[in-house]
Amino acid sequence: MMRKVMVLAFGLALASGSAALADSPWTGGDNLPTNPLACDNTPGVAVAKPYDGGQPTGAPDLKGKKITVVDVPKLIGIGYFNATSKGIAEAAKELGNVDAKTDGPTKANIDEQITFLDNYITSGVNGILFAANDPVAIAPVLKKALSKGIHVVGYDANSTPDAREWFVNQAEFNGIAKAMVDDMAKEIGEDGAFAIVTSTFTTPNQARWIAEMAAYQAKCHPKMKWLETVEAQEDNILSFNQATTLINKYGDELKGIFGMTSVATPASAEAVTQAGKCGKIAVVGLATPNAMKPYVAKDCVKSVVLWNPIDLGYAAMYVLRAAVDGDLKPGAKSVKAGKLGELQIVNGSEVLLGPPFTFTKDNINNFDF
Amino acid sequence: MVRAALGRAFRHETVLALLLAGALAVLAGQSGRFLTADNLLNQGRLMAEVGLASLPMTFVIVTGGIDLSVGSIFGLAAILLGVFWHDLGLWLPIAMVAAVLVGGAAGLLNGVIVTRFRVPPLIATLATLALYRGLAEGISQARSVRGYPDWFFVLGQGEVLGVPTQLWLLLVLTAAAAIVLGLTTFGRTVYAIGANETAARFSGLAVDRAKMVVYGCSGLVAALAAVIFVSRVSTTRSDMGTGLELDVITAVVLGGTSIFGGRGTIIGTALGLALMQAMKNGLALSGVKGDGTIVVIGIVLIAAILLSNLLSRDGNA
Repeated sequence: MMRKVMVLAFGLALASGSAALADSPWTGGDNLPTNPLACDNTPGVAVAKPYDGGQPTGAPDLKGKKITVVDVPKLIGIGYFNATSKGIAEAAKELGNVDAKTDGPTKANIDEQITFLDNYITSGVNGILFAANDPVAIAPVLKKALSKGIHVVGYDANSTPDAREWFVNQAEFNGIAKAMVDDMAKEIGEDGAFAIVTSTFTTPNQARWIAEMAAYQAKCHPKMKWLETVEAQEDNILSFNQATTLINKYGDELKGIFGMTSVATPASAEAVTQAGKCGKIAVVGLATPNAMKPYVAKDCVKSVVLWNPIDLGYAAMYVLRAAVDGDLKPGAKSVKAGKLGELQIVNGSEVLLGPPFTFTKDNINNFDF
Repeated sequence: MVRAALGRAFRHETVLALLLAGALAVLAGQSGRFLTADNLLNQGRLMAEVGLASLPMTFVIVTGGIDLSVGSIFGLAAILLGVFWHDLGLWLPIAMVAAVLVGGAAGLLNGVIVTRFRVPPLIATLATLALYRGLAEGISQARSVRGYPDWFFVLGQGEVLGVPTQLWLLLVLTAAAAIVLGLTTFGRTVYAIGANETAARFSGLAVDRAKMVVYGCSGLVAALAAVIFVSRVSTTRSDMGTGLELDVITAVVLGGTSIFGGRGTIIGTALGLALMQAMKNGLALSGVKGDGTIVVIGIVLIAAILLSNLLSRDGNA
């Protein structure tokens, strides 16, 4: 009886496992439509879409009045979200009538993030800023916030569009994909093989970037070979272990590693350094400049792609204030964000921060975050 | 003399009830929004998953064992629900039942390892914690399943007569568990196994069968909690339920169940659960940040156990 149950369970597991293997070209990408940029440097066309965000119901009129805002990032305690938090605090101070607080889980866990949001909704905040661990799982609690008249603006990692009013996108997804893949192709050549270290396969921004990278690579660097994507959940030790496993598993075949999170890239660079393969395995990824300075100085890493997360937090705070004050309405084409000037609104309800920025040996020492 | 008298008057559950009342009063004072019906019902909704899993966990710990794999069974059932419905195309109610049954099978496997192979429950369930989590991640290939029909969300996000659906389920199952543990022969068997397993065996009680049932139920109810959770967050992910076992065991131990077995009640677990949830919520509402809340819960757990030990009649843990 026991044995039959076990065999049945195993069989079901294997069957469903193989059924699930069907889909996307690279593991870790989502299956939303992609829009790769041109292979040369022709800029992409900004897509004009009607507004597709959600609106709060019964939001009180707080134009010019003091509001309380809570920022719930994916997790607290890593350099990237410390930087966005700093930007939010800076904007709150400049605006003068915002009381902003950052609180969140200590692990990039969606269950805990939902509980945090739920508690803050009950405590009656006026605005929520978030970076989602999972775009669909976070939607019910954000919709609950909207239904209670709380303004919701996302940054860094989106939710489903109808669960928030606006989303501040650090850079166009296809722009980041182009920058990363072009940098990797320059370093490892047109037929090099690479692997990817990401956070989890369902984290919205990483999944979007990977899907766009797959599309761009198929279009412009078709002979490059994708080996594997591994999950490292924004955890330092896990990222290092996963990168080391990749190096040991593929040996000489592995020519490059993509780090998709600001934790994975320095950990992968460290793994490459400790394996003695500096210069033989290229590391290209998203990371904060401070974390990468030692590797860039040693020429282990040639380029780091990012944007300014302090500006990202800063912009998100200004967008939220504009939404609360009624200055930013659905259908708007741009929004004023303090010292950043006018930011474009693309894709219906996304506020675009700007193009991605590549840090190299020449300019990385000018930045401190 | 005074200690003995106090010990007679104050069972652990009474101490806990007073602690809960005290905590509620303090937290209500800190924030006006804490003691509102809206908030309390919402907290009931949020604690349903941990609450459901802590009911059979009480049975498990009373037998002197432990089940560390509930979080992984939770994750596995959540993923299998998505796989059964989306990839294998089963009708959603069938998929839900199948996911719960797989949880039961996983729990039975725990029971087999503990009874047949005589592996200590701590080691056995530590191993299956890794096994089931690995299965969940492997099967899911980390893709999440979305797009469930609307009626499915009534379970996790809906209400019946103004009370959240899962809270009704929790109340019914708590009552059932309390009756089974306190008033049936099976309950007596469970206590006997925890108090002295050899004596129970030699008294002719079906010790192995009772343990299998208890571990099987633990897996079954963990899977049920997973189905409710998927309904609440409308998606499935392979990392769901990580760390659930710690919350569940905290609730059970806070409720006065001895980790060595032989002592414990469902009402104690229910009080412990309520205290934990009240603190997590109340502290967050009074402005304490996430890390502070965890510290306070740890302190309260130690304080409750110490207090109960000080006042207990014979000083046993």
